[in-house]
Amino acid sequence: MPPSKAITAGKGAVGVKVPHTMTERLLILLSRYREASIAVVAIVLVIYFQVGSDGGFLSPQFMSVVLRDTGRLGLIAAAEVMLMITGEIDLSLSAIFSIAPYVMALLSVTYGVPLAVGALIGVLIGVLVGAINGIITVRFKVPSLITTVGMLFFLQGIVVSIYNSQPIVAPVEQPFNAIFGQSLYQPSDGLFSLHGITAFTPFLWAVVLVLVLALVLSRTTFGLHTIATGSNIIGAREIGVRTDRMKIYNFMIAGGFAAFAGIINTAQFTSADPQAGSPFLTLQAIAAAVIGGTSLLGGSGTVIGALIGAFVVASLNNGLVMIGAQATVSDIYLGAAIIAAMILSIQVDRLRTRRRV
Amino acid sequence: MNTQAIPPLSKDAPTVLEMTNISKSFGAVTALVDVSIKLRQGEVLALVGDNGAGKSTLIKILSGFHQPDTGTIVSQGKEVRFASPRDARAQGIETVYQDLALVGDLSVFHNMFLGREYHKRFLGLNLLDNRKMREQAQLYLDTLGITIPSVNSTVDLLSGGQRQCIAVARSIYSSPKILVLDEPLAALGVRESAHVLGLIQNLRQQRQVSVILIVHNYNQIFEVCDRINFLHAGEVALDASTADTSEEELIRIVKSGLGTRAIEAAAAEIRPGLV
Repeated sequence: MPPSKAITAGKGAVGVKVPHTMTERLLILLSRYREASIAVVAIVLVIYFQVGSDGGFLSPQFMSVVLRDTGRLGLIAAAEVMLMITGEIDLSLSAIFSIAPYVMALLSVTYGVPLAVGALIGVLIGVLVGAINGIITVRFKVPSLITTVGMLFFLQGIVVSIYNSQPIVAPVEQPFNAIFGQSLYQPSDGLFSLHGITAFTPFLWAVVLVLVLALVLSRTTFGLHTIATGSNIIGAREIGVRTDRMKIYNFMIAGGFAAFAGIINTAQFTSADPQAGSPFLTLQAIAAAVIGGTSLLGGSGTVIGALIGAFVVASLNNGLVMIGAQATVSDIYLGAAIIAAMILSIQVDRLRTRRRV
Repeated sequence: MNTQAIPPLSKDAPTVLEMTNISKSFGAVTALVDVSIKLRQGEVLALVGDNGAGKSTLIKILSGFHQPDTGTIVSQGKEVRFASPRDARAQGIETVYQDLALVGDLSVFHNMFLGREYHKRFLGLNLLDNRKMREQAQLYLDTLGITIPSVNSTVDLLSGGQRQCIAVARSIYSSPKILVLDEPLAALGVRESAHVLGLIQNLRQQRQVSVILIVHNYNQIFEVCDRINFLHAGEVALDASTADTSEEELIRIVKSGLGTRAIEAAAAEIRPGLV
């Protein structure tokens, strides 16, 4: 039989069923434009808070606070997304968030090591911890949930025992602090002046690094193999993808990102608190990732969605307080949002695969 | 398609692959015991046997996914050791696994080139050349006569038959010397089966590719295969040429009993000198 003779595969080939109900149409739209749909949620939230606060929410001062939180959370959330795509998770990121800047500050006050060098060492520590997490998970086949909970307590124990849980006042070195998070913004400054920009540096760093991750994910072999690892690990291995390495590398990225976020946090407050990153921070980052449209099932995820999700979480945390609600109320909304986002995410996936014949 | 379609394998066709005394255990489970198989250039070898006979383990050793406990693999005259599927692919051995090894969340064209992506330099960065991969995949599927709605659609949206065609197309894209197909026809309808069998025939005739085929439908064995190796309980119980045996004989041998000795005895009784 000549191979040029075309075959029609199966009966009716891939007939895409026309959606009938409004709900189905809406879900299909959501599955196609996940980032857009979470962006809509974010905009609605902004409008709600803006109206509720009589215009205070979008003031430069308040936005600076919200976007700083967004940046810190977004960096961790985006790194978590990379891991979630490979089918793993890292709960030790908050401890890395604490230990990296603590080492930086300690090196600075004890040995006079410049902050920039200390920051580099801090990030390398984060990457190293990630590598250890990855190796334990992959080589010893310990579920990453357990590996990283162990690592969380281990690191947290180390960082509080170094100096009896005492925060270290980190020295201020310019331009390091201004570049990596300290706000020099005064109400008298123009928003687009040099000082005005420092009001948003953590957010700008997050945007840049998240865009880099988005590029890596969609335009490089590394990203392709990351998705393949989480989507079908046995198949990927059979075709020659080094799935173990892909997981370890993504743990290293996550560790590096968490360390960097911690350093930004310390540069902002000029203090390294051994308990700066509570485990709650990691959970909020995972919430941001889930709200942003990444499921825990592996094989798919969006880092840009995670950043928008981080904005939603940060807006809820700060906005509800601003419109006069109790600080604790925001957790009620956050909890509901996580569950709703997950239900939606799974429904959208199910609908998507049901459409095939 | 019928048996006459097979041109006789030339007597002096060189041996391209020799797996000798391959044994493999997984913990307490013995999967293979001293299995030896030989493959000549342009030959289509059928591996048959019941579930758990060791067929899949044998080909996963050949493809570098598993490593044998003992035994040697000689490919193109030199001894090789495959630490990973990449090593086997580098030696020109392509495998289509039973599970097809397709990534559901990736597009058809990304799946086609997974593990051997095309790149382009952009601002000093090594980025995926998606356009080239998309075009090449489309072109290649067209020449093979495989129709799918779009090379952009993700694989989890395709039917079983379409996925199987993609997996086979991917394995022959790199012009392998040895092609291993683990139940390539399992999910295919009659026309699609005929099409894949046609592809195999073409490969062996035009490019002298050697093929190892794991297949359950004995009818199909006689359509395309030169030789049959029957695996039973981790051993090769029968090695026969399709020209010397018939479908009925094969089925009688397979049904005859349990244990290598019983099979050999049955084979000897049915046709003396076969084994």
